[in-house]
Amino acid sequence: MRKTYLIPFVIFVAMFGFLFVTNSLAASKIVIGHPACLSGKYAKAGEQAIGGIKACVNWVNKTYGGVKVAGKKVPLEYKYYDCESRKETVTSLIGRLITVDKVNVVFAPYSSGLTLRGAPVAESHKMLYMDHGGANNKIFRQGFRYTVQTIGPASRYHEGTLDMIHKIDPKAKKVALAYEDSEFAKMVMHGAEKHAKKLGFNVVFKRTYPKGVTDLTPLLSALKASKPDFILGGGHFEDGQLFNRQMADLGIDTKALSLIAAATLPAFYEALTNMAEGVMGPSHWEYGVKYSKKEAKKVGLPWIGPSQDEFVALFKKALGKDIIPDYHAAEAGAQVLAYVLAVEKANSLNSDKVRAALGDLKFMSFYGGWDVDDTGLQVGHSMVDVQWQGGKRVIVWPEAAQTGKPYYPMPTFAEKAKGKVAVP
Amino acid sequence: MFLEQFTGNLLQGIVLGAVYGMATMGLSLIFGVLKIVNVGHGAFIMVGAFITLWLFNTLGINPIIAVPVAFAVGMGLGFVFYYTTMRRLIKAPELATLLATFSIGILLEELVKLMFGSEFRGYNWVVGKINLGVTVLPMTKLYACLGSVIIALLLYLWFKKTRAGSAVRSVVEDDEGARVCGVNVGGTYALSFSLGIGLTVASGVLLTMFIPVGINPYMGGGYTLKAFVIAVLGGLSSPYGAFFGGLVFGLIENGSYTIFNLIPGVEPFALTRFLSFVILLAILLIKPTGLLTTK
Repeated sequence: MRKTYLIPFVIFVAMFGFLFVTNSLAASKIVIGHPACLSGKYAKAGEQAIGGIKACVNWVNKTYGGVKVAGKKVPLEYKYYDCESRKETVTSLIGRLITVDKVNVVFAPYSSGLTLRGAPVAESHKMLYMDHGGANNKIFRQGFRYTVQTIGPASRYHEGTLDMIHKIDPKAKKVALAYEDSEFAKMVMHGAEKHAKKLGFNVVFKRTYPKGVTDLTPLLSALKASKPDFILGGGHFEDGQLFNRQMADLGIDTKALSLIAAATLPAFYEALTNMAEGVMGPSHWEYGVKYSKKEAKKVGLPWIGPSQDEFVALFKKALGKDIIPDYHAAEAGAQVLAYVLAVEKANSLNSDKVRAALGDLKFMSFYGGWDVDDTGLQVGHSMVDVQWQGGKRVIVWPEAAQTGKPYYPMPTFAEKAKGKVAVP
Repeated sequence: MFLEQFTGNLLQGIVLGAVYGMATMGLSLIFGVLKIVNVGHGAFIMVGAFITLWLFNTLGINPIIAVPVAFAVGMGLGFVFYYTTMRRLIKAPELATLLATFSIGILLEELVKLMFGSEFRGYNWVVGKINLGVTVLPMTKLYACLGSVIIALLLYLWFKKTRAGSAVRSVVEDDEGARVCGVNVGGTYALSFSLGIGLTVASGVLLTMFIPVGINPYMGGGYTLKAFVIAVLGGLSSPYGAFFGGLVFGLIENGSYTIFNLIPGVEPFALTRFLSFVILLAILLIKPTGLLTTK
């Protein structure tokens, strides 16, 4: 009879002991889980994000010495699977990362759509979900508690362009908005329209075009008739290329053209060559930005992480490729640093405590400022505006981050066809 | 101002429509002769686009030269796919041929992705513009339009004036009857399939002359959908009907935008697509054999 009572007791003690041991082991490392876009339509951005995360994980483990939590330095481990850029894969992988791999935090995949799809899964597990590639403000209007953004919100994408034109050309009053009929582009242009009106611009044209459009001629003909001083447009890469090309075909010359998503990527210039001269685009980060310890001290923010050049070197090593990281890499890397600071501040790996610490966190890194509001929306990071000048991307706005002066007004398409470049 | 925009867009629509029509002729030819619906149609257009891109960016070859090159490559691909796959499926249930052409499309997309990657690419061939007053037409678009018209005329002459063309027409009419009259029906099937694929791959070159950006392995999907609408407009088994359907489609797409742009509170692009499909449904109800067929 006594033996029958003893058996459950032994099992209980064994299970308790097992849980204790595994818990202790878990505390010996901090695991970042990530449904990464290794293949599918976001593969390029996904590769950049992985490179950025690996670069900063290496910096934390080797240079920073690990994350200080509960009195000891703990290394980071990065665990990722390919989500194939598909929503259904994202949800199942987040579930797996939380329940099977027992990660401590989940990094969202690239794009607003995929980020939004994964957020309820992380939320249901009360798991911190960090967003480095979903710019749509709508993500943060759903009432998610555990979602925190590092990328800047879509509504602020064009603020810099508008500020720049407002300052350098007070006579330019007419703006045209032509953009893809997608949630992201609509959010960008809603913010742009609001800011344009605040600055006194007149929106003389506002039209959308469908996803996958192959001919923008009718829209651009109508846009031309509205005679805008400058144009804000685009949505994603392919339509941005098409937009610029067909503007050139129809000879639509404006003082400035700023395209979201497309204009900041090297493939944009490779496809359009001289036709892309002078075209601008907002970017979350560009190689050459002037964020440093000195700059952080000047604005009264604590600094963490590698310098810009250290980050680039770590990124190249992480991917084993001699390529310069773009903003997808920088924002993903900066997210690692935000998480590390929040864990140290919370002195815990508990998602609720780390989330609370993130809410109070303000810092600067190679990526720039970092600060979120109550909903988790990024409010501390400023975007930069780049312009193609002589085949190179030059940061032209804000003035504090400039690597070159803006070329304004941009050359006409006829001038560009004759070989004129937009170098001031 | 309205009239200027409307006329300009109609002109642009005719130019675009000719290219759309040419891009649909291969689909109609294959359906007309073999009764196979090629759902991998867009992937062959994509192959033509990549041939142009590669020839222009790597070897500096003029896209006009790329047209016969793409046609030859397409014919070759057509023969390979016909003898390895489609020949066995001629009398098979429709689902089998749908799945086979769908699989061929995926195979091509993934092969091109493996070779060139999945980025959106483009090339910049600038050869001047013509200012027509109401609109500006780049010469590249004009070349694409002229190329489409010339190819359509050559196909017409080939059908009417050559023995092989007559054989194809006889198989379209009645394959058993043609066999009894001594026509090599198997050979005609192979030739028609290859010719259809050759035309489709060549149309990929012409489409990139019209829109030389956005070239990527998955670009064909949108064109497949448009090609089906155009083919139904003109008559699914008639290549000339397809060409005519392309012109109608181009005019609807571009012309209606200007009209819808006058209506406050609506997005014209959304309505142009809506209108295209309303017209398609109307034709299916009133004249299901297509606009240019006499049956």
